[in-house]
Amino acid sequence: MSLKETFLKNPDRRYVMFGGKGGLGKTTFSAATAFWLASEGKKVLVFSVDPQASLSDIFQRDIFGKGAVQIKENLWAQEIDADSHIKEYQGEIRQKILDMYGFDKVPDEIEQYIQAASAEPAMEESAIFDAVVDIVVKGAYDYYIYDLVPLGHALYYLSMAKVYDEWINRITKLREEMREYEEMVSRLKQEKHTEEDQILTELTYIKNRINASSRILTDREKTAFFFVVVPEEMIILDTQKAAKLFAAFDVPIAGYVVNRMVPRELLEQDIPPYLKNRIEMQAKYLNQIKRDLDTQVQAYVPELERDVTGLPMIEKLAGIMYGG
Amino acid sequence: MSDEFQPKKSLFQNLKEIIYGMAAHDMSRYAIRTRASMEHLFILITMGDLLGVPILPPYYSLRLLPYVVPQIATWKRRMLREKDLSDAMF
Repeated sequence: MSLKETFLKNPDRRYVMFGGKGGLGKTTFSAATAFWLASEGKKVLVFSVDPQASLSDIFQRDIFGKGAVQIKENLWAQEIDADSHIKEYQGEIRQKILDMYGFDKVPDEIEQYIQAASAEPAMEESAIFDAVVDIVVKGAYDYYIYDLVPLGHALYYLSMAKVYDEWINRITKLREEMREYEEMVSRLKQEKHTEEDQILTELTYIKNRINASSRILTDREKTAFFFVVVPEEMIILDTQKAAKLFAAFDVPIAGYVVNRMVPRELLEQDIPPYLKNRIEMQAKYLNQIKRDLDTQVQAYVPELERDVTGLPMIEKLAGIMYGG
Repeated sequence: MSDEFQPKKSLFQNLKEIIYGMAAHDMSRYAIRTRASMEHLFILITMGDLLGVPILPPYYSLRLLPYVVPQIATWKRRMLREKDLSDAMF
């Protein structure tokens, strides 16, 4: 099945992701796919969850931290600026403390905690994770294309959802037990009502946010996850490992796209042995890919004459991936 | 003074409080103490970083921070104080 057929046959798959090792063409394929869907009349948002995002580079426009920026008709792109997202969030927390207790300033100890928490490496991932929920929950687009981070990070991102979920379940239970004691006291004292536990409300909110995001990532009906591979030994091995891990997290793998193929027609020309060797090497691993993945490969994309940046090159690539 | 305007407690009210004091006061005191211990446990597992015990990804723990601000001082005192045998008795 070709990529085009896959998209046409599964119109419900609105969340599209390209994953793979770094530098194999995830951003390029995300951009080309977004471009094609937009030209088909679908409203598309392609967004990056990578702190070192490169959508700005590929569209040749500075979109970092500017929200959804329209690139062409039906096509929007967005790069999430985790840092300013975190700063804004810290500000909200401070304001809430000031409002709740009528302080003039946040107590030193609390302020230090806010600062320290934000310096944690996990903070950035969590902030992006949360921002993604905001984007996706609104549901304003026909298609959402995630320009994913390299494999390791993507796995971390997925496993985080499970860990969070588990953790929150436990503390919610503790919180509910605490509530029982509170109710018991007010029964003994014959007080009529107990205050609503706001923390419990917050926990439920957090749980719903996390579930919303991980449900999308693992939804067979609505999500299509494509692996990008290149016919080289290490990349194939790594991808196979990653595919197993992703399957363990219930990520529905929709197919594979093979990138960077040196055109075989070159063999008919007078080419240096260096290039000949590369073509033969690729042929060997291509056989392996065909044997192992067979029908799961949805597109073979050749090495282009120049790098893909700017709309004309993206359009050309979209033609190669979805043409015919 | 506002006290003067308060109506006298009825006999029934007095009786009710005496019975509560005899029968249930201890129970509710115990329940409140348990509840307080759990509160501290809760802060520990959400805000552990405050004592240098990182337990949970910090993004969402910040969301809970405003609600525990008043308890943090007593919590820290309780967590960091020296423990001895007499703790078990009281």
